[in-house]
Amino acid sequence: MAITSIKNLKEFSTTNDRFEGSHLLCPGCAHSMIVRELMNSTDDNLVIASNTGCLEVSTAVYPYTSWDTSWIHIGFENAATAASCAEAMHKARKRKGTLKDNDAPVKFVAFGGDGSTYDIGFQWLSGAMERGHDFTYICLDNENYANTGGQRSSATPVGAHTTTAQAGSVSYGKKQKKKDMVAIMAAHGAPYVAQLAPNKWKSMAKGFQKALEIEGPCFINTVSACTTEWKFDPKDTIGITDLATDTLMFPIYEIINGHELNILYRPKNILKVEDYLGAQGRYRHLFKPENKHVIERIQKDIDEKWEFLQRREEARI
Amino acid sequence: MSTGVLGTDKRGIRELGAEEKVGWDEVSEGVVLNSFEGVAEDIAHKKAEERDYSDFNSYTATVASWRIIKPVYNRDICIDCQNCWVWCPDTSIISRDKQMLGIDYDHCKGCGVCVEVCPTNPKSLLMYSEAADNEEALAGWPQKEKKEKN
Amino acid sequence: MAKEFELNEVEVWDGNYAASQALRQAQIDVVAAYPITPSTPIVENYGAYIANGYVDGEFVMVESEHGAMSGCVGASAAGGRVATATSSQGFALMTEVLYQASGMRLPIVLTVVNRALASPLNVRGDHSDMYLGRDSGWIQIDAYDAQEAYDLALCAFRIGEHLDVRLPVMMHQDGFTTSHKAQNVYPLKDEVAYKFVGDYVPVNDMLDFSRPVTHGAQTEEDWHYEHKAKQHKALMDSRSVIDEVFADFKALTGREYKRVESYMMEDAEVALVLLGSSVETAVLAAKQLREEEGIKVGIVSPRCFRPFPYDLIRETLDTSSLKVVSCLDKSAPGGAMGALFNEVSAAAYTTQARPMMTNYIYGLGGRDFAVDEAKRIMREQKAHADAGHITTPIQQFSGLRGPKLGFFETRRS
Repeated sequence: MAITSIKNLKEFSTTNDRFEGSHLLCPGCAHSMIVRELMNSTDDNLVIASNTGCLEVSTAVYPYTSWDTSWIHIGFENAATAASCAEAMHKARKRKGTLKDNDAPVKFVAFGGDGSTYDIGFQWLSGAMERGHDFTYICLDNENYANTGGQRSSATPVGAHTTTAQAGSVSYGKKQKKKDMVAIMAAHGAPYVAQLAPNKWKSMAKGFQKALEIEGPCFINTVSACTTEWKFDPKDTIGITDLATDTLMFPIYEIINGHELNILYRPKNILKVEDYLGAQGRYRHLFKPENKHVIERIQKDIDEKWEFLQRREEARI
Repeated sequence: MSTGVLGTDKRGIRELGAEEKVGWDEVSEGVVLNSFEGVAEDIAHKKAEERDYSDFNSYTATVASWRIIKPVYNRDICIDCQNCWVWCPDTSIISRDKQMLGIDYDHCKGCGVCVEVCPTNPKSLLMYSEAADNEEALAGWPQKEKKEKN
Repeated sequence: MAKEFELNEVEVWDGNYAASQALRQAQIDVVAAYPITPSTPIVENYGAYIANGYVDGEFVMVESEHGAMSGCVGASAAGGRVATATSSQGFALMTEVLYQASGMRLPIVLTVVNRALASPLNVRGDHSDMYLGRDSGWIQIDAYDAQEAYDLALCAFRIGEHLDVRLPVMMHQDGFTTSHKAQNVYPLKDEVAYKFVGDYVPVNDMLDFSRPVTHGAQTEEDWHYEHKAKQHKALMDSRSVIDEVFADFKALTGREYKRVESYMMEDAEVALVLLGSSVETAVLAAKQLREEEGIKVGIVSPRCFRPFPYDLIRETLDTSSLKVVSCLDKSAPGGAMGALFNEVSAAAYTTQARPMMTNYIYGLGGRDFAVDEAKRIMREQKAHADAGHITTPIQQFSGLRGPKLGFFETRRS
């Protein structure tokens, strides 16, 4: 019996985990919160592909797997291709009747960090989206190459310190804006694209369910707070994510068929970005007087983006 | 201390990395890992205690040694909201039939997220030193905090 | 159901068309591919079969060769028959994933139409791409003409998918000289060809949800070495399966293939070892020289480039008459002796005869290798044999304009 809607957390908690403990992710890592939620939001069979990254190196180190479903890792860049061509194989075998159970419902999912999604695997992801496979790609966006010790990615926001875009006596950290991956994926004409956050568990579960149910290539960018590289206490993962969504640093929204934009979360009190930045070590240097302009720029970018999203939502086109 | 899903003795659990190092002739072909012993139909509808996990499944290993602080759970205060369940990054909050049963100390790494997201007053989960005695912790549980009025 | 393709007893096919017909007859479940000269027609022909109902499987046109091999790995792990085609730069781009396919023991078939590697860019045939794959853990089989490209592609599925092997297989042919040269080809009927290849047997099938399986786990210092050793053993042991499949193919068609092909070696005093379409040229040259000048030349070719047929090379070279063996490498050696020279020399060193060994680099970037050039090399070999020592540099570039280029002078045998 398929899980159709999840009314409340109590009901959700009756689902059975298919992502097991004793993986090697850091204590307090948001990756596994997101992965668990994805897997618990459906009871269909799953074929999951993972790009190289924190999730992959922490969940399938021989002789252990934390996956109770079919799972594959090839390289840093090609999980979208692995999942999409596994989906092609499913189509072919279903047509020929060579599957063990020809009617078993199955969903194809690919996971990648922002390094593999925004940077090294960008081409592979774009190709799979364009080809129109029935699969869902989920980016676990922690805004840096955390698996290799915190280097910059094109998802790293302005002003963040990383080991390859450092804050120093003449530098305030990363100078370039974060790539707008959600817009790029929407521009592929994907039937469902969203940006979701694990602190808003219900909109996240709903978004996952939509992506899994909708036929065609769907993309979801999830904010995955990184205790190690963002430099905050592991217990604060959800608190930091609350700040990310309530400052609108990470607005929660979906885009249907490339154009219909819906905002999924409107903070009652929009917080100033300083609250979010100040809670993390990677932004500590921005609070020096000479870097005040960077915080102002970040706030301006947030305000403009929020204005843009609201207008796009109102436009209904 | 065999308490079903909460009991560690049931699974023959072992320290992660303590597995026997077999020779080249015994490693799996193509480095594949099967999550379960034999045929394992319909896993999505089976609770952990109903599954036949293989030794390759990380469920059968423990990371308890990572922990320096641990959450202690107070059933008397808990309202079964399941916040801790949904946000536990280590699949270590055990809930059955909409009720929180306790903490899986084999898989808990002691991050403390469960305590932070617990909405009760006082909290139903608190962090203690790994060496602390759970019964003593429960006996000395804090009282309801009064909200300060400004 | 896929339509049957009406075939004549004799067809006029080039190597690309022959390979694509074999892929069609194998009824592949997923072809994930990206076109590149000179193997593009394989992909195009396959596209035509798809468009006209001759194939039931899926045809995924990916965005790069890296994507093609990645798609093959994902599809293969999902429990069905998988193949693709490439050449040269495309082969180089998919190299990362070649190692992953073999390590994951996925029996993908890759038809490689050999072409030079840039820089400088070149679309013609040499063996640079084939050599690039030689440590990738794949079985590598070399076809010398269109008939062989067809026959051996059918064999490739049988070999790779054999339950004792489960390794990916490259089926090589030379760019243009084989891929674009039309000749008479005797195909099997669809039904007969498919029966020879057999139904695909899934192993560790990601779409068998009663046995959830993890593919592509990481192994560190505690486990990596054992896994690589096991993989190497499977590749070494595939020799007997290759022999078995070749024997079955001979029983079906009368056409015989061996891991090491040899010609006129029984009484040969000098021998050339080489690969690909040049073998035919060398055999012709050897026959003529035997007749015209009485030089007893033999030809040896390791059709099965990987696993390297150390056993059969040694056996073939272990004749009392043999004095000089020259290995011809059609790939820029990059600061070493040619790969064929190194490997054949190692095998020859353990023979009683211990022939003198020399190395020629030739035919780079599609430079023609004609009978006259082969004869010139054979005459040089005869001079070594008569002198009792190597009279030229051990490594020479053959057919090269400008001053003679060679390395490692010696007066010793």
